[in-house]
Amino acid sequence: MSRDESMKCEALGDDLIEFALGTLSGRSRSLVLDHLETCAHCDAELEALAGIADTMLWLAPEAEPSLGFETRLIERYRSSDTRRLSTRRRRAGVFALAAVLVAVLGIGVDAIVTSHAGTTSPSATTRPLTGRLMSDGNVVGQVSISSGSPSWMIMDVDTGAISGVVWCQVTLANGRIETVGKFTLAHGYGSWIAPVKDSGSHVRSARIVNSNGTVLAEATFAA
Amino acid sequence: MRTRGNYNDEASDEALLSGVAVGDDRAVLAFVRRYQRRLFGLALGIVGDPGMAEDVAQEAFIRILRHAAVYDARRGSVATWTLTITRNLAIDAVRVRRPIPTAPEDRVFLTLVSDERSPDDAAVLSDSVTQARAALDALPIDQRRAIVLAVMYGRTVAEVASLEAIPLGTAKSRIRLGLAKLREAAAVAEAP
Repeated sequence: MSRDESMKCEALGDDLIEFALGTLSGRSRSLVLDHLETCAHCDAELEALAGIADTMLWLAPEAEPSLGFETRLIERYRSSDTRRLSTRRRRAGVFALAAVLVAVLGIGVDAIVTSHAGTTSPSATTRPLTGRLMSDGNVVGQVSISSGSPSWMIMDVDTGAISGVVWCQVTLANGRIETVGKFTLAHGYGSWIAPVKDSGSHVRSARIVNSNGTVLAEATFAA
Repeated sequence: MRTRGNYNDEASDEALLSGVAVGDDRAVLAFVRRYQRRLFGLALGIVGDPGMAEDVAQEAFIRILRHAAVYDARRGSVATWTLTITRNLAIDAVRVRRPIPTAPEDRVFLTLVSDERSPDDAAVLSDSVTQARAALDALPIDQRRAIVLAVMYGRTVAEVASLEAIPLGTAKSRIRLGLAKLREAAAVAEAP
């Protein structure tokens, strides 16, 4: 580790501890995340601290819930599972149709670009970007962005509980953040397709935010 | 839901979760029975109210069961995953009800920061948990309180400082020193 990197680690200080405990938020959290992407030392430190915090959760004593807890839970799960399956079937149909649309549009646009550019590799231009939407370390959906310009984005979200209008934003290679549009989550689920103004190859990450601007989930794409 | 497997107490957590992911009724039931006392106990410790704790535990189970297919073993054990989800939901529930968190004075907090032990403790706790408990007990009481408030109750450093009526820097150093000692103890326990 270089001296500069070491100084950055020191500057992080107690924020890394708060990050490991899950109590860090806002800009400090973003700064820690940025640093972790490039610092294996702090990443290992975080893993160790988080491991200690996780073990502590085991120390809470067990307790017996009231009679009927199990039955109520199973019934609730079955009911949500049935609704989820029917929603998923409808969504799968929409998603499959959208995927075909993206493939057709992506390849169509690329075919035109390729025919003019001549030297562009078809395999490189037709490969869509795909990423997993993450929230608090859990996968809550997927994002696929076709190549070409305009690009098309398909977002498939299963947040578990969040309902209401959410906004989709993308971060471009130059650091600019663009709002692509908004869509609605019902019972935590949402599937959405929209054009991305800039070429999909310029997109570095996609995220959904609520009306307060709080990031609910984010997917990062390899540069 | 469908029924495929036959799960007993020996089935691993991962096997149960795999069964849940494919919609196996018995796996769901076995998983709930294995974890309901632990999840409810953790939720009760944080929110302090049995009714609210049941709501939290139920919501935690629903999320866990629904996301069983995306559980990633590389990110930690099933137990850690389930307890973390429950802890976060419980802390959210407390914050929604009380935007300014008050000091926890429930039995979990008092038990964890107390030097007294129940004779049953040793029989109930597994080896790794016993080691973690011993390491926590070995901390000075002020560090122990700060650690429990931050880790178990999700209090920020600023909130710990306010609750303990100490400067922010003192709260930070208590948590930092406490975690360092816990980490050291864990490393010693893992050493061959």
